[in-house]
Amino acid sequence: MSGTGSPQPLNGRWSPLVTVLAFALPAIFVLAPLAIFLVYSFFSVDQGQIVYAPTLANYARFFTDPVFLPVFWRTIVLCLSVAAISILLAYPTAYFLTTLEGRWRYALLMLLMVPLLMSYVIKIYAIRSILGLNGFLNKALVALGIITEPSTLFVFNMNAILLTLTLLLIPFAILPIFLALERIPQVLLRASDDLGATGLQTFLRITLPLSMPGVASAASFVFVLAIGDFLTPQMVGGISGFTFGRILYSQFGTAFNWPFGAALSVALAVVVILAILAGERFGRNRGTSH
Amino acid sequence: MTVAPRLSTLLLAAITILVAALLYSPLFVPIVSSFFPVARGEVDWSSPTVSTYVALAANHEILLALRTTLVVGACTVVLSVAGGTLLALYYHGRRAGRSLLQFIIFLPFLMPPIISGLALLIFFREIGIERSLLTVVIGHTVFVLAIVYRTVLTRLQSMSRTLVEASYDLGATKWQTFWRVILPNLSSAMVGGAILAFALSFDETMITILVTGTQTTLPVRLWAMMRLGFSPDINALVALILMFTVLLCALAARFLVPRQIATQRS
Repeated sequence: MSGTGSPQPLNGRWSPLVTVLAFALPAIFVLAPLAIFLVYSFFSVDQGQIVYAPTLANYARFFTDPVFLPVFWRTIVLCLSVAAISILLAYPTAYFLTTLEGRWRYALLMLLMVPLLMSYVIKIYAIRSILGLNGFLNKALVALGIITEPSTLFVFNMNAILLTLTLLLIPFAILPIFLALERIPQVLLRASDDLGATGLQTFLRITLPLSMPGVASAASFVFVLAIGDFLTPQMVGGISGFTFGRILYSQFGTAFNWPFGAALSVALAVVVILAILAGERFGRNRGTSH
Repeated sequence: MTVAPRLSTLLLAAITILVAALLYSPLFVPIVSSFFPVARGEVDWSSPTVSTYVALAANHEILLALRTTLVVGACTVVLSVAGGTLLALYYHGRRAGRSLLQFIIFLPFLMPPIISGLALLIFFREIGIERSLLTVVIGHTVFVLAIVYRTVLTRLQSMSRTLVEASYDLGATKWQTFWRVILPNLSSAMVGGAILAFALSFDETMITILVTGTQTTLPVRLWAMMRLGFSPDINALVALILMFTVLLCALAARFLVPRQIATQRS
């Protein structure tokens, strides 16, 4: 890839400057902030002042205080549920898309991606009004006779966070599953059909296993996006819907304990990195068709 | 064949329609209420109105936030396209340290925004930069850089080496080759990357909340207003923004998608 053949005009006179920039920019604006952040997690706070002396107290507090670990686990379970529900809805949708002919397939896929462009804050607000006591969901449930009067089951609690996050994140589940399904070679399905397998057998033994990498990527995407969100729980969670992201955010606002917040962020980062690695590990094996 | 396959297709179609309805429901609420008065969750279909749009034109606070968002978006686009293209040109074809640097660039995009945002917040505090629009622009640029970089690099990798070789064979210098051969070939990827960068910057909320000063962007303004409930003119704004972003998306698709699908098919 080197030599005159590859498009590398940035050699010669400007080379040193460009080299410095190419290494310095990521180092200054990405590595330095993250490194300082990590170091901060070992500091402490005394009467509103940050004490720049190394201590493990923040981490000890996270593991021993009865408040934080339960919220931490509960948030992980919540986000796993969001991922599971998103996939349950996204898989049939993505599968349906792949049964369509070329142009319709991409048109419909685009249509399902458009809601991603809509302002995040506005969507949260709209969903909150749909879930609310006078909202559309309650009206529909009453009209269908499922419940007799409007329920507060979907406002300002964990259910509300679960539903809102799912609604916001489904597109991120559709896309990777769709891509995985689309890459399954048609010849395999035809071979299976020729050998006398039923549609269900072909699906269970060929399509489903070959699409699992896409499902793993989808789960990883949705989980990471859900667990990093602090706006949605803040807006629809009320008092009972307390998530780890909210606690973390509050350390930089009302609680004003930046070092402890940094330590909580490290815990969050560990979970996120594990989720991304898991998604990478099981989401690999994608190039089966080529 | 049998009834079963047709039944399963119907079921799949039904689920797809349900998902589409779920995804679009939060979009329709503000758009419908921008044209029809809503009271206590009931839409009054009998009296369509554009009064919300008129009210919007008089809402200086919102218009100022919108202007700020556009300025931040424009600065972010310029910085991220320049930086992303530079990094793509530099890293392309280089082995040493490339995967590490690439990983670093992608970190802010992969990490939850709360972590990227807080890291930047502490960083700015430590080096003594006041929170302002500058810190917002830096935050957005760091966040979207990976996308522009990836878009330009993909195009660079699909570019035929013979183009560059032919240019050198015909006696062009490095700079002539760069300006007349490489850059024109990259331009549509750069435009596509710019549109994506702008779209991401336009809606970025979580990092912005953490690094913003007093003057702030539209999503953060809306976030602050949401606690009290929105006035009807916000719905008009939402409808307009949605139309604008769909247009932008169609534009981005024109610059990016056809080529990718074409290569997949071949």
